[in-house]
Amino acid sequence: MTRVLGVGLLTGWGAGVAALPEDARRAAGERRVVSADTPPLAGERFRRATRECLLGVAAVEAALRESGLDRAAVAGPRTALVYVTAAAYGASNHGFIEAGSARPARADGGLREMRGSALYFPYTAPSAVPAEVAIEYGLTGGYVILVGGAAAGVDALWQAGTLLTAGRADTALVLAVETFEECAALWARGRWTTPRPLVEAAACAVLQGGGELEYGPGDASTLETLVARRAGETLACGPLVGLALARAAGAPRARVTGHWRGRRAQIALAT
Amino acid sequence: MSRTLGRTSAVAVVAAGVVTPLGLDLDTFWSALCTGVDGISAIERFRVDDLRVGRGGEIKKLRALRHGRLPRCRASALLLLAADDLLARAALTADPARVAVVVGTALGGVEEGERALHEGGARAAAGGLYDSPAQTLAERLAARGPVLTVSTACASGATAMGVGADLLTANAADLVVAGGYDVLCRFVMRGFDALRSLTRERVRPFDRRRSGLLLGEGAALVLLARDADAPRVRLGRLLGHASSSDGSHVAAPDPEGRGLEHAVRGALAAAGVGGEAVDFVSAHGTATLLNDKIETAVLRRVLGARAGAVPVNSIKGALGHSMGAAATLEAIMCLLASRDGVVPGTAGYEEADPACAVDVRGVARAARPRVSLSTSLGFGGCNAALVLEGTS
Repeated sequence: MTRVLGVGLLTGWGAGVAALPEDARRAAGERRVVSADTPPLAGERFRRATRECLLGVAAVEAALRESGLDRAAVAGPRTALVYVTAAAYGASNHGFIEAGSARPARADGGLREMRGSALYFPYTAPSAVPAEVAIEYGLTGGYVILVGGAAAGVDALWQAGTLLTAGRADTALVLAVETFEECAALWARGRWTTPRPLVEAAACAVLQGGGELEYGPGDASTLETLVARRAGETLACGPLVGLALARAAGAPRARVTGHWRGRRAQIALAT
Repeated sequence: MSRTLGRTSAVAVVAAGVVTPLGLDLDTFWSALCTGVDGISAIERFRVDDLRVGRGGEIKKLRALRHGRLPRCRASALLLLAADDLLARAALTADPARVAVVVGTALGGVEEGERALHEGGARAAAGGLYDSPAQTLAERLAARGPVLTVSTACASGATAMGVGADLLTANAADLVVAGGYDVLCRFVMRGFDALRSLTRERVRPFDRRRSGLLLGEGAALVLLARDADAPRVRLGRLLGHASSSDGSHVAAPDPEGRGLEHAVRGALAAAGVGGEAVDFVSAHGTATLLNDKIETAVLRRVLGARAGAVPVNSIKGALGHSMGAAATLEAIMCLLASRDGVVPGTAGYEEADPACAVDVRGVARAARPRVSLSTSLGFGGCNAALVLEGTS
């Protein structure tokens, strides 16, 4: 069975499962968005990287640490990277659109000009986050990027399991990042899409092995309910948060489910 | 055919449907490609007067759907038009719960997102999500299986076909509607204009005078089924697919093309064939200085001594770079070339470049490839390759 070696988790509540409150709704109070801190990744390499890129890199670092793997163990063509997000391109898209609008520039220290520039445009693509991760860790294997909420998070786990089972990778990283702060007003307008609170998150699961995945439609798992209660709405990160909770509870196996836009998907993994 | 190619993971490409600047259905698109019609024109749908370049592969007028109304979201409209064309050629005969939708896009519903920012409204805000057009397509098809949106930038259409094949192989669906789409909009024109990637001249893939790309728009869908379940009348088979990451730069391809080579070799291995089996290459061929040179180097390494004799083309000179739609359109073109024994020319190609020493021609030629290789690259170091077998 495909097994989870470790899960790195950063959320608006802090790092790891231990930071999650017992009741996210109550802990959020009146906040519509619970923002995640920007990871303090320094250096020339990250001078242009967006906040969501930094969150992605930090989540992978945490996942490798928890899995007991060093960078050399994942570098190269035998590690696949599957990235999933419903929303993390929103901030960069918003910034690029605003930079090109006819409205007068605010005194923002050149931020608006920068966001309309050639250097910033590639960061509007969802692929920018996994690109920064791939560059940082030297990942050159299978590469799939999915867009969607929690059901797509399950799809990403399935795709990673498929790459392992088919022998196309020895290790697979499933990374999900969700940011909402910059587009909070848009999310508020479309609030029928998600219940409050929206909690920013970045999560990465390290998978190895292969075999039966029990992927398909399914009813909501107890883990899905637990994720919603403890973490809030983390969209594509939800199934990975579920895996982190299952591992923290010492469960040998986890059935994770995720729901998005009328569809619920499930998958079972050894934890 | 004397020999069976492909491993058990090969899937049938039953039928295809498209909407492009060259034509609003598959037959028109194909005949335009073969006869050298130019799909590039001055962009009329949005403001371009403040940009360096104001041309592209714009679809001037959308036709009506056979059933129902076109949505306001242009990305969704293009997808529904391609589906309309597909369903005119093949029916979705499976249980709706076993019909999956996998579509690739570089931009999703970004134009709706832009509209939402400027005009407001909950519907536009939701439409701005990159997976909204795929949801619209699934609703229109009444598909209740997995609905996946892939966004590996300009390789999305190939990655989506690969993921669709994986769904069939894993028995997670019985039919998959897979493909890609993207719209030519101000957002992406501003971006590529800022990057100075757009040419003021003609798009000339692999030509010595090539000076950049022009963007286009369109949608392309294929109906995939497990080989054993598919009807005998089909376009061909997807024998193998693979993807890879460059891990070298956010916007530029790896200068040695190592990631692309890894994807190509992976797709060939998945297909159970070597480079010697490749009869035709549909290149990404954007007509940027770097891309075409890198692709040439990769093809020469993979095809070896035959590299100069295997026909190569790029259809981006005729319809522009249609981003998420490009790779699916190119895969379809490969299968039609096998069916009809014609390899479309590379519009704009006139003068050979020693740095691009592959067999490219400006006009269509008679050839009936059995096995085709299609390559794709995209922002974020995305690479994807497909190995296809036609029905010649």
